[in-house]
Amino acid sequence: MVDVAIVGYGQVPSVRCTEITETQMVLDVTQQALRMAGVDRHDIGFTVSGSCDYLAGQAFAFVQTIEAIGAWPPISESHVEMDGAWAMYEGWTRLQEGDVDLVLVYCHGRSSPGTPWQVWPLQLDPYHLAPLGLDPWSLAALQARALLDAGVASERDFAEVVARNRANAVDNEYAQVSGKFDVDALLAEPYVRNPLRRHDLPPISDGAAAVVLASRDRAAALAERPVWITGIDHRIDIHQPGMRDLTRSESTTRAAQAAGLADRPVQVAELSAPFSPQEVILRDALALDGSVEINPSGGALAANPVMVTGLVRVVEAARQVRERGRDRVLAHATAGQALQQNLVCILEGP
Amino acid sequence: MSAAKDTRDDGPRIMPFPVALHYEMPAAPAITRYGEALIDGRIIGQRCTGDCGLVYVPPRDYCPIDVIELTAADDVELGDHGTIVNFTVVTPVQYPGQEETEPFARVSIALDGPGGMLQLQDVLDTPVSEVRVGMRVAAVWRPEGERNLDELAAGGWSSTGGGIEGWMPTGEPDLDVSRLAGKGF
Amino acid sequence: MPAPLVKIDLEFPYTRSVGPVIGAYLDGLQERRLLASRAGDRTLSPPLEYDPATGAAVEPELVEVGPEGVITSWTWVAEPNPNHPLDRPFAFALIRLDGADTAMVHVVDGPESALATGARVRPRWRDERTGYVTDIECFEVTT
Repeated sequence: MVDVAIVGYGQVPSVRCTEITETQMVLDVTQQALRMAGVDRHDIGFTVSGSCDYLAGQAFAFVQTIEAIGAWPPISESHVEMDGAWAMYEGWTRLQEGDVDLVLVYCHGRSSPGTPWQVWPLQLDPYHLAPLGLDPWSLAALQARALLDAGVASERDFAEVVARNRANAVDNEYAQVSGKFDVDALLAEPYVRNPLRRHDLPPISDGAAAVVLASRDRAAALAERPVWITGIDHRIDIHQPGMRDLTRSESTTRAAQAAGLADRPVQVAELSAPFSPQEVILRDALALDGSVEINPSGGALAANPVMVTGLVRVVEAARQVRERGRDRVLAHATAGQALQQNLVCILEGP
Repeated sequence: MSAAKDTRDDGPRIMPFPVALHYEMPAAPAITRYGEALIDGRIIGQRCTGDCGLVYVPPRDYCPIDVIELTAADDVELGDHGTIVNFTVVTPVQYPGQEETEPFARVSIALDGPGGMLQLQDVLDTPVSEVRVGMRVAAVWRPEGERNLDELAAGGWSSTGGGIEGWMPTGEPDLDVSRLAGKGF
Repeated sequence: MPAPLVKIDLEFPYTRSVGPVIGAYLDGLQERRLLASRAGDRTLSPPLEYDPATGAAVEPELVEVGPEGVITSWTWVAEPNPNHPLDRPFAFALIRLDGADTAMVHVVDGPESALATGARVRPRWRDERTGYVTDIECFEVTT
């Protein structure tokens, strides 16, 4: 195994609707990450990005963002139609070959241009689910009700997740929705998708993020405090919501197992839970007790730039190590609906 | 209950899955400045302040070669005469939404003046067989009151739609385009 | 001048081949029958071509399930969007049809007060059916 560390990162504040292009956002975040890493773009051996054309409204939309990283002379580059966390997984995998020692990962996503109820059902089974126009709010609500019926959580638990995340987000300059909210006041709000209220749903966000990965000696030479990726893995559950237990996230548990979560406790966990009940499920799937600080960034309820949310969790977890002296933290990313696919990575300081 | 046959006499069983998607987003500042100028009868580009020194049209507020940000201060007024440096003749395929029926040419034009290259432009009133590299052309602007940004805002391929109808040959002698190599990107 | 609005309209006339399992299922819907596939000792509704837990191919013969079933989860859609199957408030629900081991997603007609996990439902079929999952107009709670 080649040891890999995060030696630079960047993000932009998530906003309801950005006034610039995704390429401009990518230029910003990649320059931030390269500057922090202290490397020039010409030193990068491989670049990989994550985004989704269906959000942008254009086939091959992601190709334009290559202009932001300078593809002349030609570069070695790849792309996944997924959250940047999976692009990072590919970048980490590339470094295992040992022939390059610097990788640039970036991701971008604008949820503002599209019409959510048109776009999102296209992610689902085209025969059994998409023709019903099953939207993410409804599917998350089916999951929430399953939690209530199982006696695993209460609506108050959901509201407490919202209150805590939004309060944490107050100190995060990159978060979009933040503030001090009273749990009882939240519970007095009307349902949007019984049992979910508006605040249980993620905001619509535009954003971008980037990380620079370096392998062993290069990482040690570049950074005083490299953030080592000591475990990374992703697993996927069954797609059909009626064929799996929506109250649990088996794929998250297995990814965490493979990433070595059980080796030593983590101090912080950044979880991609765009819907409040999902944080309850993830805490349980990862067996996180009260000693673990959850989502100091405010998590996906404070900003949900789809295709970026997962890599932002990695960046925020990396900040905990590099900027706040934490030793061992966890970042989680999710893809698909109702936590169908999950990635877990463990980050450690030197 | 037995499984239906996978194929029928007229081919595999097909289920329709029509998809309709609508997107709206504010144009970025660079395109907004470009669109304003187009309505005003001007073409503006942007010169890179880095090593490459290239002129981009429309402006992007960054340079993809030097990877630096550019600003409105780097905008430059471009000519509306130029030379065809490349072209293709498209034989239209009749797919849903296709409006063309006859072969048509789309040309790349290197603009006179500071530089800049416009892509996929239309040459008006000219048989496809006469379109050639080196041909000198001039923009045919829409009448002032009729210019609008609807086509530009439709996110289509044209970067001059709604302002410039197309380009007409000027009748000048053809230009040797080898002199223009390296002026565009 | 304020930034002009860029508007993009995409239309894709996609079609999908259905294969023998989904094809039989859609044929069944057109005939007002609810079918499921068998994998080992499990009955999968809606029918999949492979057991999602083991990857084993399902038996070639589908079996009939329902028509009634039980709600295993639900949510109320107070303001339907144009892509939803009904243009009045309705519920999305997970419904385990009688005889099936798994639940399918569909819609249930109101009123909202009738919706509950454990409520029994039956399908209401459209008069015109084309072999599509919406040949079932909705389910309704039985008294």
